[in-house]
Amino acid sequence: MTTQTSSPALELASSSPSIRSTLLDSAFLKNLAGSVQSSAYTIGGFAILLVMWYGISKLTADALPGPVTTLSVLWDMLRDPFYDYGPNDKGIALQLISSLGKVFLGFALGSLLAIPVGILMGANPFFNKLFYPIVQILKPVSPLAWFPIGLAVFQSAGTATIFIIFITSLWSTLINTAFGVGSIPADHKNVAKAFGFSTWKYITKILIPYSLPHIITGLRLSISVAWLVIVAGEMLSGGLGIGFFVWDSWNALSLEKVIAAILIIGTVGLLLDKLFSLIEKRVSYAN
Amino acid sequence: MYLEINDLEIAFATPKGKFVAVKNVNLEIEKGEIISIIGHSGCGKSTIMNAIGGMLTPTNGSVTINKVPVKGPGPDRGIVFQNYSLLPWLSVYQNIYEAVDAALTDKTKEEKKAIVEKYINMVGLSAHREKLPRQISGGMKQRVAIARAFAINPDILLLDEPFGALDALTKGSMHLELLKLWNLENQSKTIVMVTHDIEEALFLSDRIVVMSNGPAATIREIEDVHLPRPRNKKDIVGMPEYKTIRERLLSLLMDKVEIDDTDFYKGKKVAAVA
Repeated sequence: MTTQTSSPALELASSSPSIRSTLLDSAFLKNLAGSVQSSAYTIGGFAILLVMWYGISKLTADALPGPVTTLSVLWDMLRDPFYDYGPNDKGIALQLISSLGKVFLGFALGSLLAIPVGILMGANPFFNKLFYPIVQILKPVSPLAWFPIGLAVFQSAGTATIFIIFITSLWSTLINTAFGVGSIPADHKNVAKAFGFSTWKYITKILIPYSLPHIITGLRLSISVAWLVIVAGEMLSGGLGIGFFVWDSWNALSLEKVIAAILIIGTVGLLLDKLFSLIEKRVSYAN
Repeated sequence: MYLEINDLEIAFATPKGKFVAVKNVNLEIEKGEIISIIGHSGCGKSTIMNAIGGMLTPTNGSVTINKVPVKGPGPDRGIVFQNYSLLPWLSVYQNIYEAVDAALTDKTKEEKKAIVEKYINMVGLSAHREKLPRQISGGMKQRVAIARAFAINPDILLLDEPFGALDALTKGSMHLELLKLWNLENQSKTIVMVTHDIEEALFLSDRIVVMSNGPAATIREIEDVHLPRPRNKKDIVGMPEYKTIRERLLSLLMDKVEIDDTDFYKGKKVAAVA
């Protein structure tokens, strides 16, 4: 925030000194003060977390590693993220890339199914009545319960992991798409009717633009679920990936690495969410 | 007759049973006429419009244009909806273009673009062509809606309370713009307009259709307006005929209010008519 607002302000300031003071006084300073304030809250929150963590670690006589040791382990992991010492010992970045690849593949396949089916359900009451009970039954199923099915069908742990991401991440997108399409106002439909829009024009000029914000919200929820599921999935499937890394670290009795991985998983999850909220803002329109 | 409404009845199925919005509606409209339909809220004005527009199917009777029954919406009828109904994600230009593109299927892309240009200029919005509906004022939105309806070159224009949401000044200039467009097309377009504004109806129309109150509303009376064209708002207000028709319309609409005063009508609606 600070860097974004400061650079145009500084450019302007250097080109015309006369407006420099007004700019610095008003918008720029306000933004600066705003972001200083919000980062102060963030730092404050994390300070509380660190103190509690430190306290618990002391109480358990270092059975739970404290912040200092953990952060130094995290630093070691981040310093050389791409090392590759054979199949069972790879850098954290390679693990992350492998996980993200599976997440995006499963998520993309899920969305490819969820969006068209969601549109069908939202646009047509017949399909809504037909599919809604299925959605209600399958949506609450834990990802882990799907794993044996994936294994049996695909005979490969890696593909089964992608399968469980696919099957658990599609519901939010499906439900949100159906809702978005189902709530297209009669006004918009009347325009299409009165001017004789073809089905294709109706889909591209009314249905998609109207429901896109809902679809993106669905995708945002879905990618969070996918990222949640990958850790559990990789613990079962083994191989390469951040989930397996957590399990492997636990087996190697390195709780420091487990906690460091948790911090990384959380940060990546946050970044994924931010990415989709950015897209969300871009496609949203106001009446 | 050009446009004929014969014994029209439109009813809707509701959980409480059949609801008859309008019935026994008979109306004949000549080509090039401007007709206003006036009446209280809920008297089925818009229902009649939608029947002409083909958005609703009659449960009895028929609407015919050149003896051909209306079966659905078509490019021979341009509709200006009550609340503009512009698509919020399309620019002023695109809003008109998509309608032209959909309605005039036999034109080439260049011809369509030229048509959009023509009408966007006609309503004076070429400077705002790239703006989204939310970036322009209510009067401008209404002009876009009118340009969109005119651009598909319909024989009949259906205006559903087109100026209801506008302030008095904007409304006045929109009336002039509408008549200007009508004159530009050699007064050949038939215009059917729903309104609850007596002055608006008097200024624009050749005939004013007064509806009775719903449910099962029907035509109560049809007033001919013989005021000379081109009309000038200031001049016609002083004419005896203007005063007579205005009095007549007021008493038609007001005595209705007094009869059904009890709890049907709130003060707001009375004020809108007076």
